Amino acid sequence: MLHYTLVFLAGLAGSVHCIGMCGGFACALGGDPRGGTATFRRHLVYNLGRASTYCFLGATLGYLGLLVCGQQGDAAAVGVAQRVLALVSGALIVLVGLQFLGFSLGGRWRLGNPATALLTGALGRLLRAPGTGAPLALGVLNGFLPCPLVYAFAAQAASSAAPLPGFLTMAAFSLGTFPAMLLMGGAGLWWRSRSAAATPAGARSQPAAVLGIDRRTLILRLAGGLILLLGLITFARGIVPMSAHLHGL
Amino acid sequence: MNPSRACSHCLLPLGRLAQQREVNGEPHEFCCYGCCLAYQVHHGETDEPEAAALLIRLGVGGFLAMNIMLFSLLLYTGTFGPEDGWTVQLVHWVLWALATPLVVVLGGPFLRGAWQAALQRRVGTDTLVSVAVLAAYGYSAFQVLSESGGVYFDTATMVQSGSGAVYFDTATMVLVLFILGRYLEARARVQAARSLAPMLAAERAQARVLVDGTDRMEPVQAVQAGTVVRILPGERIPVDGFVLEGRSDCDEAVLTGQPERQAKGPGMPVHAGSLNGRGHLLVRATAAGSATRWVQSGRLVREALARKSSLGDSVDRLAVVFLPLVLLLAAGSVVFWSGRTPFEEALLTGLAVLVVACPCSLGLAAALATTLGIAAAAQRGILIRGGAALERLARIKTVAFDKTGTLTQGRPQVLDVSLDGATEHEVLQRATALALTSEHPLAAAIAELGRDRGVVVAPARCAQAHPGAGVSGEVAGGRTALGSSALMARLGWQMPPEWSGETDIQQCTLVFVGWDGKVHARVAFADRTLPEAARTVAALRSRGLALLLLSGDREAVVADTARSLGIPEWRSELLPEGKVEALRAWAERCGPVAMVGDGLNDGPVLAAASVGLAVGAATDLARESADIVLPERALESLPWVLRLASRVRRSVLANIAWAVGYNSVALTLAAAGVLQPVFAAALMAGSSLVVAGRSLRLHRADAKPAAAGEIVEGSTAVARI
Repeated sequence: MLHYTLVFLAGLAGSVHCIGMCGGFACALGGDPRGGTATFRRHLVYNLGRASTYCFLGATLGYLGLLVCGQQGDAAAVGVAQRVLALVSGALIVLVGLQFLGFSLGGRWRLGNPATALLTGALGRLLRAPGTGAPLALGVLNGFLPCPLVYAFAAQAASSAAPLPGFLTMAAFSLGTFPAMLLMGGAGLWWRSRSAAATPAGARSQPAAVLGIDRRTLILRLAGGLILLLGLITFARGIVPMSAHLHGL
Repeated sequence: MNPSRACSHCLLPLGRLAQQREVNGEPHEFCCYGCCLAYQVHHGETDEPEAAALLIRLGVGGFLAMNIMLFSLLLYTGTFGPEDGWTVQLVHWVLWALATPLVVVLGGPFLRGAWQAALQRRVGTDTLVSVAVLAAYGYSAFQVLSESGGVYFDTATMVQSGSGAVYFDTATMVLVLFILGRYLEARARVQAARSLAPMLAAERAQARVLVDGTDRMEPVQAVQAGTVVRILPGERIPVDGFVLEGRSDCDEAVLTGQPERQAKGPGMPVHAGSLNGRGHLLVRATAAGSATRWVQSGRLVREALARKSSLGDSVDRLAVVFLPLVLLLAAGSVVFWSGRTPFEEALLTGLAVLVVACPCSLGLAAALATTLGIAAAAQRGILIRGGAALERLARIKTVAFDKTGTLTQGRPQVLDVSLDGATEHEVLQRATALALTSEHPLAAAIAELGRDRGVVVAPARCAQAHPGAGVSGEVAGGRTALGSSALMARLGWQMPPEWSGETDIQQCTLVFVGWDGKVHARVAFADRTLPEAARTVAALRSRGLALLLLSGDREAVVADTARSLGIPEWRSELLPEGKVEALRAWAERCGPVAMVGDGLNDGPVLAAASVGLAVGAATDLARESADIVLPERALESLPWVLRLASRVRRSVLANIAWAVGYNSVALTLAAAGVLQPVFAAALMAGSSLVVAGRSLRLHRADAKPAAAGEIVEGSTAVARI
């Protein structure tokens, strides 16, 4: 349980990162003309879609991890495979954690490749589309956008080598991102109404500016620390044989 | 089929290619894809909403599907042990609850399609998908009900033996992946429609006609020459004409393929189909609204889309036989395996067969690639008469050129006039009178010279054209002839001896003027080659194509042009029939030939070639002689068109090969019971993704070679300097 709490906290802190990219979608999703409750429902549905993608990824990667490790058979071989998996994913998580802490390692994530181009095109189309299904669809596809945070927890899910813990890891993570993303939707609306009142032309300001840049960096560092911790724990599971005490986390 | 049903756009009876589509919420039927697109363009609707709707379906379905997959994964991996029998049952109910809306939301289009097909006693791809999904769904629902109803008391045994499993995930994955394929297809159609919209809008366009000081909207077809039309900023110009008032800059890319905006001011010509810039324009039409190149191009594009390529047609015919066979094969494998394995496994085998065989990638392959190819060409002002022309173009071995007006400027200039017993004024008077009766570029040059010298002309009577030789007629009471030495010889008129022999003006085209049984003047013309001709010829040669020059001109002139451009083979002094013969003879030896001409006086040879390309042939659009029409001065786009044709053909063939190979392997595996339905669906969807992706790439790649081509051109230009 402690493990999932850690993941939840990392998600909570890491969601400051979400504001940069997914926050834009949350803002663009905007409000519902039928009022506050409908708007809240709209954003909840969007985030539910996002969460379900993460959970699916978690369970699938857990299953893939299971396939790699093997369900039955030679216990020694399973042990080795599990440890290799833990080492690889631990290293990946550590890398992402370091990146959040401000150490730039390798290239930035780009939105250039054709698959992402197709995805972002689809997201744009969904934002313009009417209907109640659109926010859900937006959330579902949003979940597939490349994101270092998601990769880190997906690696964590894969290293668990079973669908259920994989699912739970990603569920804890996505719950962690809920508050920030829901707030983002609200803040976006508030910001838009405010700037519309101040400048009728509707100056397009970045709503993320509500949170000062220093405070954002600080929270991002905190997230980086938590992710790094998770990565090190995972990594340790690969090094230390019979790491029963860490399994308990 | 009911004969009273007619196409919503052209009102002709529906044929074999009939399509059904909802436009603005009303069901419509179209005789062809071209009509369907044109109707949507006219009614301000494209496939855009359809793509968006599919996307929402995909997203909502994806949400349900991912949850189904999640729970199914938990079940498969034995997360719930034998002691959790009750949980397993609950999960089964949850799966059912999730799968039901999914089948409704995602399966809807397929079920409707299958029902429509069933009403027409056909088996379509939708039928296969529907049968597979309903079988998986129905069987699973039955399982859930029977386990709850107490058929399986001992859930522990059930979980261990593996029976009583549900296959909602199979139905789910099949649907999600197929909807994904549909979405990609719809996106491709959106792209095609977007690039064809300016062309297709022509036939139903409206013009703002100025009558008694007020504007009135009238259909373009009703506009006559001389009508004054107002054009607002950003509007598409509906008529050919001259600017009376106003200044603007017009985008003529649809007509000429040139992306630069052209400045327009009073007295300057504007062309129907071009896009007005920021200024108001008042334009006097110079031609009837139905006679513009734009309207003709629009009709041509629509017809081109209606024509199936021969490959596409054979694929369609194949599918008619193939689909019922698959249904039989699926039923057969269920019957076969149910005798040997538990019924459940037999059913799964049948499902795998159905899913794997859906030849949607086959159906997609030809149509999508050709449509996108035609659309890509239309964006550059290049008109292609159907996929078959594109297919033939990809197979040609030789490009044959007409000389005058195609490789040369087509506006010969008079270099020298030699006289024999006549004054220049007299010669020009007679020559101009005859020249005015002909469309030939040489005649135009003489008429221009006559105008420049201020010659007053009495019209020629009984003018008679001698194709490829000249004209003759009565001028100033005497029989006069204007033409080649062959014409003079045929008439039996005497020529000064120094003119018939070798001269120092070898490379010039010589025209003689004679009257009263004697040749009195010799006019020497020179026609310079176009600057882009050499580059085009070099580009074609580097593609490994044989080149041939066919001309009615004198040997010396043709040889000189051919050598200067680097064309190794030429035939000279050909009459129109001679050109056709030369072309046929060449084609017999060296394979299919594409003929490039200006479309003015080479109709027969363009029609005789396996592909006829006309450059800037505004007058020829209505005729059927050219398969492909390039905009004026766009000879250089020829290598691009050839590249496009071979890309389209490669894409179509690769797609068909892929689909056929894939189907034969996958069907065998599925019928043998090796392939799980989920994997079959993934494979199938993967193959249609590959096909749609390839075709889309074809369209997207369009911009890149153009840019690369410009860079190459730029560098050669630098090298020349």
